[in-house]
Amino acid sequence: MAEAETLSHSGICVHDLKEAEDFYCGVLGARLQGAVNFFTEDTLNGRSVHQAYALGDFLFAVALAPDFMPMPPDEQLKGAMGIRHAFTVEKAAFNQVIAGLKGKGVPFEGPVDHPEAGPFGQSVYFKDPSGNFLEIVWRRDEDVVYAAPPDLDVG
Amino acid sequence: MASVDGFSHLVVHVTDLNRSEAFYRDIIGLDVIGRDLVTDDGPNSLLALNTRQRLVLVEVPEVTAIRPNSSTIHHAWLLTIDEFQRTRERMKKAGYDVDDSRAQFRAMGENSMDIFDPDGHRYQIQAYAPEATQVITEDIGPIACGHVDDFAVGSVKTFVKGKFCLVRLPDGFLALSRWCTHLNGLLSWKQEHWEFYCPMHGARFDRRGIARPKGRPCPPLRLHPVSIDDAGVVTVDPGTAITRSDFDPSQLTVPAATTREAETAQAGKGA
Repeated sequence: MAEAETLSHSGICVHDLKEAEDFYCGVLGARLQGAVNFFTEDTLNGRSVHQAYALGDFLFAVALAPDFMPMPPDEQLKGAMGIRHAFTVEKAAFNQVIAGLKGKGVPFEGPVDHPEAGPFGQSVYFKDPSGNFLEIVWRRDEDVVYAAPPDLDVG
Repeated sequence: MASVDGFSHLVVHVTDLNRSEAFYRDIIGLDVIGRDLVTDDGPNSLLALNTRQRLVLVEVPEVTAIRPNSSTIHHAWLLTIDEFQRTRERMKKAGYDVDDSRAQFRAMGENSMDIFDPDGHRYQIQAYAPEATQVITEDIGPIACGHVDDFAVGSVKTFVKGKFCLVRLPDGFLALSRWCTHLNGLLSWKQEHWEFYCPMHGARFDRRGIARPKGRPCPPLRLHPVSIDDAGVVTVDPGTAITRSDFDPSQLTVPAATTREAETAQAGKGA
């Protein structure tokens, strides 16, 4: 057993919170969990202005960037700004997800096959409007039972 | 399109795969599954958490751990409280700072440490002790809050002793516990927004103690019993907390007609 249960959340930055909400909720099906620190006194005390999106067992805390972040080249769809977040769907829904990306006009790269010895099947790669790299994967181990994810509402 | 089912894995770029694999195995405590089990941009190592989530370390020549002009970039490992205590000891032994730099923003029972990996990727390690969600009461006996006429309809008065707010609604009084029902953060009353606000995780509640519809979904704030004696003195017992699923007018303590105005009117009649 590992000494960590799960990744509960990530804090990332975007250039436009409304644009990010439209993308994460409209394209990935996230649920807006809340908006935090829209109080001047809190931001003056060092809190970030951010929204939180629930994506299954994970929360994205999406904060407004304090300045314009350098963007990856438009044509680069697979990459990592140091890190990349990968979300999973069932194999049966994978093609539907790809159709959804096409339908929303989100450019992507893939599908790319993973080695059969590993837990991942195929991935597609894309970016959010602020240049954060993302991935959707179906997994060969989708029928394996793992420890249940902790309740996200304690995060 | 279909919603994603959940989180699969975090891909982390590193400059020295052996060094980073040792860090995530020995300090964070992940299980190493194997090498090059993933198609990616370089040699890689796959590590496991206890849920289905995975970490993929990919060796690349250069790493930008924190995106320029951004802030708050971090990723949070959620541990059980026992795992947290063991991880804290491992980190201390390895010379890492285990103090919580943002302790003033934590709810009761919320444990957190920050750590950077060898390439500068920033992580939060967090765990919740049982006191984060337990119902808190203060057994200090009933508190006399004042006369009913001292509280204008619509007003909210915060009591530090007992940690509650006395709210006068048009039809009566509510004593709301200031301990957030999400986790035990202490709420403050924001007069300019007419709501209670938790600076820990952003929960917001109206004067009935009901979570705002577009805010964090939380159960209603807990109530303390309110009584009003014949002289019109309002008393709250913070030693008892009443859990509820919604607001109901029967939760209000309604003042009798024996307010000061009534007494004055009565006195006027007598004269």
